Amino acid sequence: MIEHTQYDFDAIVVGSGISGSWAAKELTEKGLKVLVLERGKSLAAGTGYLGEHAPNWKLPYQGKRPRKLYEEEYPVQSKVWHSFNESSRQFWNNDKQNPYAMDEGKPFLWARADVVGGRSLIWGRQTYRWSEQDFKANETDGHGIPWPVGYKDIEPWYSYVEKFVGINGKREGLPQLPDSEFQKPMPWFELEKTIHARLKKKAPDVTLTNGRVAILTEDLPGRSACHYCGPCYRGCSTGSYFSSQSSTLPAAEATGNLTLKANAVVERLEYDSESGKISRVHVIDAITKERQFYSARLFFLCASTVGSTQILMNSASESFPNGLANSSGVLGRYMMDHTLGVSGIGLFLDNMDSYYHGNRPTGLYIPRFRNLNGQDKDADFVRGYGYQTATLRMDWQTGINAKGFGATLKDSLRKPGPWIFALAGFTECLPRESNRMYLSKDKVDRYGIPQVVFDFEWSENEINLRRDARIQADRLLKAAGAVITLAGDDAMSLPGEGIHEMGTARMGNDPKESVLNAHNQTHDVPNLFITDGSFMTSASCVNPSLTYMAFTARACDYAVKQLAQAAL
Amino acid sequence: MNRREFLQCAAILISGVSASQLGFTLSDEQQIYLANAPDYNTTAVNYFTPEQRKIVAAMAEVIIPRTETPGAIDARVPAFIELMAANWLNDEERTIFIAGLQDIETRIPVEFGKTFNQLSAQQQLHIMEALEDAASDSPWYEFGNVQREYISDAPFICQVKELTIWGFFTSEEGASQVLRYDPMPMYFDGNLPLAPEDSSWSSPL
Repeated sequence: MIEHTQYDFDAIVVGSGISGSWAAKELTEKGLKVLVLERGKSLAAGTGYLGEHAPNWKLPYQGKRPRKLYEEEYPVQSKVWHSFNESSRQFWNNDKQNPYAMDEGKPFLWARADVVGGRSLIWGRQTYRWSEQDFKANETDGHGIPWPVGYKDIEPWYSYVEKFVGINGKREGLPQLPDSEFQKPMPWFELEKTIHARLKKKAPDVTLTNGRVAILTEDLPGRSACHYCGPCYRGCSTGSYFSSQSSTLPAAEATGNLTLKANAVVERLEYDSESGKISRVHVIDAITKERQFYSARLFFLCASTVGSTQILMNSASESFPNGLANSSGVLGRYMMDHTLGVSGIGLFLDNMDSYYHGNRPTGLYIPRFRNLNGQDKDADFVRGYGYQTATLRMDWQTGINAKGFGATLKDSLRKPGPWIFALAGFTECLPRESNRMYLSKDKVDRYGIPQVVFDFEWSENEINLRRDARIQADRLLKAAGAVITLAGDDAMSLPGEGIHEMGTARMGNDPKESVLNAHNQTHDVPNLFITDGSFMTSASCVNPSLTYMAFTARACDYAVKQLAQAAL
Repeated sequence: MNRREFLQCAAILISGVSASQLGFTLSDEQQIYLANAPDYNTTAVNYFTPEQRKIVAAMAEVIIPRTETPGAIDARVPAFIELMAANWLNDEERTIFIAGLQDIETRIPVEFGKTFNQLSAQQQLHIMEALEDAASDSPWYEFGNVQREYISDAPFICQVKELTIWGFFTSEEGASQVLRYDPMPMYFDGNLPLAPEDSSWSSPL
C-alpha cells in the first residue's frame, strides 16, 4: 500500500455495458468512489429511447431500411438484422468513423454500441447459467486449459445477480442447465403446448422450456413488468428488461459514489514499475480530442472483450513489451464466438383457430441434449448446442409477393396464415490459439489508436456441430408434427455475428498460459481486474452475459476485500 | 402499473421532461422522437408529374381497393410510392419504375383512347393482370421470397405491388382499420380465439 498518495478515485471502471455497470454498482455500494469511463455518447434512460413505441407509419420509409446510408456508414452494424434499424440506430457504432481490419479472407463482424449502457441496450436478453459440465469441458476433452473456477464457486453469485436482474423462466431441474432464481414464466402459444406434448412422446431426449430472459414478469423496485410491446432493442422506458440504464447504473448513482463520463475513449493504462501497479488511465475526449488522465487504486476493464484487449495491447511498456499483463503471451488469442443460425423451420396447421395477444419478447429454448453423458456414439464433434426457438403466424409480410389484385388479395393478406416454428442452433466454439485479434502496425483510428485486426476462422468441430444441429432440428420438427420442414443450410454464421466474443484474456491457474487468475485479477498486475467476456476460458453453448455479471460481482467482492486488507 | 398509467407515464416521458433536468445532454439529432414525428407518408414530395400521380394512385387502388375498410388511396399509399420512388429506390430500380410508368402513360391512351386513371375499374384490372402475366416468371414471385430487402431488377408491376402492399399495411389506416393494432398489449395470452374473419395483428417492424 502506497501511503500519502492522492488518488482521483478509489476505482476506475472502463465501460458501462453489462459488466461495467455491474462493477460500478458493486464497487459504489461497497463505498468506493468510482469513475466509469464510456467511449459512447450520453444516453438517458427512458427519454433517450427515441424509437420506442413508434408505430410503423412513423418510421422513415415506413420501416424499409435506408440501404444507401447503411452501406456507406453502417456496413457492419446493419448486418445485425434482429436489432439494427432506424428505431435503434442511435445506439450503434458508426462503422465509417470507427474502422477495424481483418486478415485477408477472414471476415469478422464486430458489433459495437456507441452509447452509455453499451450493448446492454441491444442484447438478446437470454440468460442461462453454466453447468458443472461446462466448467469441466476443457479438462474433460483437452481443448483449452482447465477453468480455475467450478460451478459451486459461482453458484451463489448467479443467485445474487439474478435476484437483482429479474429473470423469468421455468424450473426444469436439468443438470446441464441449472435453474436460475426465476420470476414467473411467460405464457406459451397454444401451438407450443401441442409441440411440447408431441416431443415428450416422440423425442423424450429433449426438453422444450421457456427462453430464460432478463425481462420482468413481476415488478421490481423502479421497474415494471413487461408490457409486451415487442421490440426490446429500441429501449424500454419502464425498465422491464435489464439494461445498465434501467438497473445497475441507477443503483450505482443512488450511492452518491458514481462519476460517469461519456465520450471518454480510453487510450491506455499506465503501469508504474516501481509499485508494480496501474497508476493512471489515459483518456481522449471523443468530441474535443482533449487528453486527460485519472488515477485510482483499483482498475476494472469492462470495455467488452475486443475493447479491453485492445486497451491492454495498446498499453505496452518497457515492463510489458507485448501488451500489459501479457507476460504469458496469450493475450488476444483463444478468441471464441458462438455460431448461430436457423437450423430448421417447420410449417404447422395445428391450433389454427388459436391466436395470441401481445408480443412475447422471447421464444422457447431447447437446452443442450448432445454428448451429455460422455461422448454420443454418432457424434463427430465434442460438446454441444442449444436451440432458441421462434413461433410466429404468417401474415401479410410473408405474402407480399402473392399474385392477384383487389378485394380478394386484400382479404387474404389481412388474415393470419399457418404457424411457423423455427429452431436456431447456438453452438459451442472451441478455444484455439490461432483465433486471435491483434493491433494493426499501420492503421490507426480517428484518435490515433492502432486499429484492431481480426484473424478468426471456425474449426471442424464448430462446422460439425452446426451440421448436427440442422440434422437434429429436422428430426425434432417432424416429431413435433410439422407438415413441411425446411432445413437450414450448413453455412456458418460470420465470426462475431453471435456477438459473443470471448476468451482473449483467459482465466487459468498457471500464469504462464493465462492472463487472469480465478478472481478475474491479472496475474501480472494486482490492481487490474477484467470481467467482460475476455476472461472466458471456454465458451459453453449458452448465452454468456449472465456469467459475466456473476463473475463481475464476485470479482468486485474479492477486490474490495483485498483493498481492505491492504493487499492491493 | 396498469395500461392507463403506463400510457400517461410514456406521454410524460416523451413530452414533459427536459433533458437538462435529468442532467444529461442530448444533441439536436437525438431529440427527435419517432413516435411524435409526422407520418412518413405526409412528407412533402414532388417527384411525379400530376398525370403520373393520378396513374399511380389508380394502380395502387386496383391492388388494395377501398371495400368496407379503407383502401390504398385512403391510406396515402400513392404518396408513399412517390416518396419511395424519389428517395429510396436506387438508380437501377428507379429507371425500371419510371420506364414502366411512362409506358402506361403513353401506351394506354393509344390503345384505349383514355388515360389509365380514366378507365373503368375492370379495364384497369385487365391491364394490370396482363402486366403480371408478362412478369410471372420473375424471381419476385418465387415461393418464400419475401425475407429480403428488395429485388433490384423486379419488373415495374412487381415494384408497384410491393410498394403498395408495404405502404398500405404499415400505414395507420391499414394497420389499425384493416389489421388490428395494439401498441400497449400489457399482457401475453397465447390462446386468443380466432374467428375466420379476424385479421392479423399489425406487428412492430
